[in-house]
Amino acid sequence: MHPGTDAPASTGPWPGLTERVTSELAGSLNLRRTALRLLDLLRPAFADWVVLALPELRTGRLVLHGGADLTATTPITARVDRERGLGHVLTSGRTDVLHVAEDTDAVGGLDAMIPHAGLRAEAAELRPADVAGIPLTARGTTIGVLILVRGARRGFPAEDIAFAERLAARAALAIDSAQLYEDRTHVASVLQAGLRPPVLPELPGARIAARIRSAAAHLDLAGDFYDVLGSGDDWLVVLGDVCGKGVEAAVLTGRTRQSIRTAAYFDRRPSQVLTALNTVLYEAEASRFVAVVCVRLRPIGDGSSAVASVAVAGHPPPVIIRAGGTIEQIEAVGTVAGVLPDLAFREVDVRLHLGDTMLLFTDGIYEARGADDFYGMERLVELLPRYAGAGPEPLCEAVEQDVCDYLGGRPHDDMALFAVTWGR
Amino acid sequence: MSAFDTAEAAARFGRALVSVDTRSATGLVGDLLAHGADPVVVLVEVIAAGQREVGMHWQRGEWTVAKEHAATGVSAAAVAVVAAHARRVPVSRGRVVVACAEREWHALPASLVGHALRAHGWDVTLLGASTPAARLSQYLHDLGPDATAVSCSVLGALPTSRRFIEAATAAGIPVLAGGSGFGPDDRRALALGATAWAPGAYAAIDAIAALPPVVPAAPPLPAAAVAEQAQLEQAHPRLLARLRSGWSLAAGVLTGAPAVADSLESVVKDVLDQSLHAVWAALLTGDPRPIGETAAWVAELLDARGADPRLVAELRDLLATVLVDFPLSSELLAGAR
Repeated sequence: MHPGTDAPASTGPWPGLTERVTSELAGSLNLRRTALRLLDLLRPAFADWVVLALPELRTGRLVLHGGADLTATTPITARVDRERGLGHVLTSGRTDVLHVAEDTDAVGGLDAMIPHAGLRAEAAELRPADVAGIPLTARGTTIGVLILVRGARRGFPAEDIAFAERLAARAALAIDSAQLYEDRTHVASVLQAGLRPPVLPELPGARIAARIRSAAAHLDLAGDFYDVLGSGDDWLVVLGDVCGKGVEAAVLTGRTRQSIRTAAYFDRRPSQVLTALNTVLYEAEASRFVAVVCVRLRPIGDGSSAVASVAVAGHPPPVIIRAGGTIEQIEAVGTVAGVLPDLAFREVDVRLHLGDTMLLFTDGIYEARGADDFYGMERLVELLPRYAGAGPEPLCEAVEQDVCDYLGGRPHDDMALFAVTWGR
Repeated sequence: MSAFDTAEAAARFGRALVSVDTRSATGLVGDLLAHGADPVVVLVEVIAAGQREVGMHWQRGEWTVAKEHAATGVSAAAVAVVAAHARRVPVSRGRVVVACAEREWHALPASLVGHALRAHGWDVTLLGASTPAARLSQYLHDLGPDATAVSCSVLGALPTSRRFIEAATAAGIPVLAGGSGFGPDDRRALALGATAWAPGAYAAIDAIAALPPVVPAAPPLPAAAVAEQAQLEQAHPRLLARLRSGWSLAAGVLTGAPAVADSLESVVKDVLDQSLHAVWAALLTGDPRPIGETAAWVAELLDARGADPRLVAELRDLLATVLVDFPLSSELLAGAR
């Protein structure tokens, strides 16, 4: 360690700074935000210029956070010398302090400590300056380096370096946690991408809308699912509910959706899709079951009406809200898919005219538990006529809002809604 | 970008809303954009302007809730057209998460601001209506945005908007607050710990760019007020039931025509909810104005439905009676007289 040549007295104390580093950095699990917060706490009180050098966990690429613009992130592509400056602090875990004189043109070691021309120029502007590279060591590994620069008349006395090392130890824990979290999040989000609800396509003859509210409020994963598949004037709408909740359930919804897609490729009749799904699930693992409603939509004649073929597997059948406000409950029954071999499913055909809406919903809707009782089908059926002709989006929104109001903040099961209004 | 006759376009859009004609509305917006109209101008001066009219129709008792919702659906479809257009603008600025706090179901203002920011080069993540604080936190950790924006249209969502502000500022992320729930100036927003307030989409674009990169955690609200608001929230169903029976009695005495009674019945829940929520808002923000503003809104709503004006005074007395055990609320109500 080489303290500054003019060895000034400590410029502290910085009351509460170590505590603030600990408590405020704990507020975020995001790496960039955590870095930003640390930089903001240190500048300008503790140092005149600060950069946080962090090698990325996944790629090993070095990224410099901060500088004159706190929010800047600068990836470094050049090789970093392990014997000198920044590279040495990273590999040895030892602090390094250097003094950059005013009169020399040579930046004496600055190039090794700040391996980026633009950032180096910012730091060099503060000459004569002391530059300190403080290791960030957490859980036994040096995960990065805090590069602090103090300009004219304010070097780094030994006690300030010791203070900076204590700060760095606290900051390193928070940064390490954020880095681990980010790494896990990356894995999860890649795996999760295929399990999210699909983006709805445009149907030529109908308008559609859907909603999912997960039981685990913080997750975008649910055991309820929907899908729309088809082309031209032959479409299949699917809504369902697998046993269980959260991630395990979401994985099963992914498999179910895929099975349905494959089955529908060969035969788009809902009864046949459900039979195939049942067989596939039963043969894979008979302990997991899935409740599904399947609706095939085909226009009739000039497209002013459509036939909807409905089949259900252990799922509540859809409700039709006629354009004029009458409500029809479709009488369709069928056994849940995945637990019994050789099931057959029956289709019910209904007609949809212009402005009629068919609403598909999972049991999480009517089994939502309020202060006294379940939300119930009666409440749903009473609400729906008011939204006759309103279109699928307002309808889904109204039902979701009414059920959430009824819940009054209580926990709930996964909830899914899908509405199809005939006519564009 | 070429100028266009915004008033004429707004009028045409308004007609599409009245006739719940999605195709005309989206066609109009698509044409404007294709002819080089500024997407933010289309959002604010055509779609938002039309949507404000929708709210007025409902308030004046001219439209049912279903019709209001249907028209809102048309606006949402029009916004989607602008969104698709705005997505083609290259991202040149930081990342912003835009959402409505829990119990805020008016997703349109938030999506409007979100798409306006997107059109100005921000990378926007829209979380939509009634977003629980836990879900927001998850997104903040995952995305590490430069800023957040919370939209609150109803006074009842101010307490959850405060939780939104806590979630963001605990992570050091600045929060821009907006929407009619925050009132006509920055007082409520700042009292709740927001970093800044914006009265509309144009102002939000400037305000987001001016936010500091890091903010401290929002300081705690006054303990007594927070405690009393929490009690009110817990007692809400009970208080609502008492208000309702008192109201029915008063309405029965003061209302002759059955048509008027029906019309009143359709708004009674909104009127009573809002009246209690105004007290929540005043408690949490220290701003007494929500109580007077809500009383004025109720008077207008009832007047449009042909109700006896004495019902407004009656409601005020009912509120005072029902809230007699809540000292801070009683004080606020007395002050609002």
